[in-house]
Amino acid sequence: MVQWDVFDFSGSQVPVRSDLGQAFRRDWNRLALPGTWWSGSERVAIAAEVRSARYGTDHKDRTLSESAREAARVIGVQPATVRRPWVESVAGKLGYPRYIEITGIASRLVAIDTVHDGIGVEREPLPEPEPGEPSRTAEPLARPGAAWVPMVGGASITQALSLVDPEAVAQEDLHGPLYLSYEGMAMMDYVAGLSRAQMELVAARTSAINECFY
Amino acid sequence: MLAHSQMLRASAQVTTTPLEPRAITDRSLDPLLPHGIALLDFVDALLVGSEADLIRAREKLLEDMGSASLVDAAAVVGNFQMMNRVADATGMPVGKGTLKRTKEWRELLGLDRFNHL
Repeated sequence: MVQWDVFDFSGSQVPVRSDLGQAFRRDWNRLALPGTWWSGSERVAIAAEVRSARYGTDHKDRTLSESAREAARVIGVQPATVRRPWVESVAGKLGYPRYIEITGIASRLVAIDTVHDGIGVEREPLPEPEPGEPSRTAEPLARPGAAWVPMVGGASITQALSLVDPEAVAQEDLHGPLYLSYEGMAMMDYVAGLSRAQMELVAARTSAINECFY
Repeated sequence: MLAHSQMLRASAQVTTTPLEPRAITDRSLDPLLPHGIALLDFVDALLVGSEADLIRAREKLLEDMGSASLVDAAAVVGNFQMMNRVADATGMPVGKGTLKRTKEWRELLGLDRFNHL
């Protein structure tokens, strides 16, 4: 288990609400444990690859195959360059479930690191991996559809990672503390530290810089 | 971007808040929302600015809006760093009905240049 004082934001010059630290600790626990298709060591190596690509940090670990490292780097740093033939090529080598698990790990790590960068605190060191084997649990209800990867039900951003259900669960677990719960998104007059309109301005500008059409 | 630019419009309408939506893609424009320019400056500095840009934008946001707003702004950027990656990596399509309904909106904001599908 990740230590209790991880993400306590003691070095922050501004108070950080506790639900953020709790959500980040849950994600760090997930990262360190064996996943569905990758071991704990491999999951942490995927995160290290993303950090290395984003920040130029030293990372000489060769736990992962070149395809897995490429997927981590591209999703972590250049997501707007992703095209269907590339997804088919990478998933052809790794398998779609392993590709989806990399997508989940990379996207959540970038989210957590961005929050740290934004408020001006040191990024948390990656966790020590836990031993054990991945569960290798297939999702029997996932099917190819309108998106580029199989998922459960129709193509929907909340279902995007549902081929590997724990990754979809982890995404939703972070989405609420960072922004709004899926249900809470209906509240157009929501106000907390920002008004809903201010939140959406930030969301839309982030997406514009990331060149994400969706 | 399409989804949340529309949520921005909806939220501004519900709360009768002035809005210039083209400021999402055109930084020469004022979004008109309270503290809108400081928020956009913060997003830009955090994602594509220098360390000095980020320090300035963070201080400005803190001064104008306070620490809770700074933390929420950083968290929202973080969330969409995640969701943008999930959408792009999985080839998440925008439905045909939505594309039909949003033609004028997409033209106003110049969004179709971001459609890689």
